[in-house]
Amino acid sequence: MSGTVHKTGILATIRRSVAWRALATIKGGVAGGFLLLVVLGAIFAPVLTPYDYDIQALTNAFQPPSLAHPMGTDEFGRDVLTRILYGARTSLSVSVVAISISLVFGMTLGAAAGYFGGRFDRMVMVVVDLTWSFPEILVALMLVAIIGPGVTGTLVAICVAYLAQFTRLTRSQVMALKTETYVEAARGLGASHAFILFRHLLPNCLGPVLVAGMLATGDAIILEATLGFFGLGAQPPTPSWGGMMSSGSGLLFKGPWIILFPGLCIALTVVAINLFGDVLLAKLDIRDRLRVV
Amino acid sequence: MKYNLSTLLATTAIGSCLALSAFAQEVTVVMAPNEVGATSYNPVASSMQPVGTYLIYDRLIAKDENLAYVPQLAESWVEADDGMAWTFTLKPGVTFHNGTPFAAQTVVDWLALYPGTENAYLFDAVERAEVVSELEVRFVMKRPDPNLLYNLSTVFASIPDPAAYAEAGEDYGVFDAVGTGPFRLESFEIGQQTVLVRNDDYAWGPGAATGKPAKIERLTLREIAESSTAFLELKTGGVDMLLNVPTDFVGEVEGASDLSVLQLAGQDLVYMPMNVTQAPFDDIKVREGVAFAINQQEILDAVFGGMGKAADGFLISSLPESKIADEFRISYNPERANKALEDAGWVMGTDGVRTKDGARLSVKLWTQSDSFFRRLSEVVQAQMKAVGVEAELVTFDSAAIRDQYKTGAHQVAVRSYLWDNADILEWFFSATRPFYPNVSMLDDPKAETLKDAAMTGAKNSAEREAAFVAYHEYINSQFPYAPIYEPVQIIGYNAERLVMPEVLHAPRFNTLGFLELDVKE
Repeated sequence: MSGTVHKTGILATIRRSVAWRALATIKGGVAGGFLLLVVLGAIFAPVLTPYDYDIQALTNAFQPPSLAHPMGTDEFGRDVLTRILYGARTSLSVSVVAISISLVFGMTLGAAAGYFGGRFDRMVMVVVDLTWSFPEILVALMLVAIIGPGVTGTLVAICVAYLAQFTRLTRSQVMALKTETYVEAARGLGASHAFILFRHLLPNCLGPVLVAGMLATGDAIILEATLGFFGLGAQPPTPSWGGMMSSGSGLLFKGPWIILFPGLCIALTVVAINLFGDVLLAKLDIRDRLRVV
Repeated sequence: MKYNLSTLLATTAIGSCLALSAFAQEVTVVMAPNEVGATSYNPVASSMQPVGTYLIYDRLIAKDENLAYVPQLAESWVEADDGMAWTFTLKPGVTFHNGTPFAAQTVVDWLALYPGTENAYLFDAVERAEVVSELEVRFVMKRPDPNLLYNLSTVFASIPDPAAYAEAGEDYGVFDAVGTGPFRLESFEIGQQTVLVRNDDYAWGPGAATGKPAKIERLTLREIAESSTAFLELKTGGVDMLLNVPTDFVGEVEGASDLSVLQLAGQDLVYMPMNVTQAPFDDIKVREGVAFAINQQEILDAVFGGMGKAADGFLISSLPESKIADEFRISYNPERANKALEDAGWVMGTDGVRTKDGARLSVKLWTQSDSFFRRLSEVVQAQMKAVGVEAELVTFDSAAIRDQYKTGAHQVAVRSYLWDNADILEWFFSATRPFYPNVSMLDDPKAETLKDAAMTGAKNSAEREAAFVAYHEYINSQFPYAPIYEPVQIIGYNAERLVMPEVLHAPRFNTLGFLELDVKE
């Protein structure tokens, strides 16, 4: 009996969660379903396709879409669908990991700056504003030029490129929340700064920051694809959507499917992320709080 | 009011006709990708010169389509019986773009510009030049040089006005370039484009030239590294000609009703230098293994649609010095590749990558950012993997990779050169040119001895050929590179707009080609 109650409790919690409520809408359901499909495709790529992503078969190059190769083959005779599935691993994981790291650092830095204020705040803001004064792609290109092309370089580049956004957002949230009565009360009861920050302030600004993180993931996928397109992302034969578009761009006339399908994947994934983020914003009713940045 | 309207219409019509006529005389051409990034039109001091240099300047000697030497600024020439002097008779009435007359003293002054430059080797055998008469100049030699005529015909022996050269100093060729060629330099934006205008006084030219100025008035040479972008420009009418059409686009060009293709024999060679000073390529067995892992025929057929040739040596196949003994040819042999790597102690691992003392046989393969090199490098990467060598691609901007080589950090690379003389062996393998151009960093005493014999020891063409064959064979025996591919020149042009020369009496489309090129009315 207690087990049933427990299950019901979890289900109820899930049903009450914002993500579930977002998924229950048509827009959120379609976007979420597509994202789930992409993630499952990336995870189960080895069982979903009989081909290797890196084994070349030059005599099989430029095969148009067919039953054997639903998205055709590329200039090296590799199955495009296979490379898209494996490429999703690179594109999604690099973007999600980079944004997650950026979120953690950005939130910590922003919360500390917003809470303590003073010289520390000004110092952090100078650095943040400095990186924010450049477009993300410029910051990313500069960092990849220093670190070198590849997954690590891309990861660091995306991470730093979005750090300013999360720092500023968290700082503004904390600055608004730190004068709230419950914070004053906690301070009055002798709570430490760390306790107030991590127990009271950060949980209360988590929603907007997480949604901003989700929306930034869409941008990060584009940034990762852009770096890949310039040949600075994952290096061959590791597939990435941007890298696939880059090699397909020179073959637009001979094999348009080589650039078409990864391009579609990038576009649809980013649209899905933005749509889902949009529904989350509506459900959380935090659109105004995001504008504080 | 009526009068005013008529005047306006007439003026507009005349203006339009004039504009159309001016436009009709303009041609826009995309340079070959391997010429992208040239930093100056200084033929004396720079080791990379684009096609524009052929048009701004003339040379004493030119080559025809059979690689025979023909007059350009020199009307005729005589070699002394012992090879210790050459006398050149110059064409009369030649002037530089600034009006300065071209005479024997010009040649003497021009030759004096070379010592201390990267191209000084061209005239290393020349002791001095002396004026015989106003239009006769004699080269007094330190030693016989059977290659002198070739050297004089290269783009690096283009003749600028020595006075203008001295006046401009280090900036020469960037803002100003004064030659006697069929076109004058109007503007040069590095990495972007060069605009040339017709030299109306041009009444001399190489070999079969008519002795008339160029037919087109204005020529824009654009630098577009990405071949698909260049092709789109041709297809949409943004440019009139591509000096290099990738084999992938040949079918598209041939299929378009307004475009045509002109195919000429190739002078390029694509190869893979291995840095002999960097592990694991400091082991000759590893170099041998990697060299024999490259499947040239597969690359030719699958990547280049069978257009061109599978390379098996370092020289283009039209050169006699490329005819080396079969045992020194390097072409795909997976058994030999695997054996050499086994002999070097690299044992195949379970994941298909060889290991030795716990270390993986993993190398960095440098390549250029344009699609030709990226694609070729991916095939090479897969072919190396097939024998257990893991290669990580490292991509550099096409214009920046030469500077990267100068750091010496490279292990193996995919690159190409364009040259039609055996002395390119000395350029890329001489111990005196480490890092770049000797990307392989070969510093081998026997190779140096053979090089000296080939470069300076021969008294005549036959001796020179034999010496270069020996040098070529020895270099191949050391495996400092792997040959890959010998492309053909494929020029794509707008046939509805351009009239190409019926027969091109030149090995490449440069001076003579642009002199004869016309625009349809």
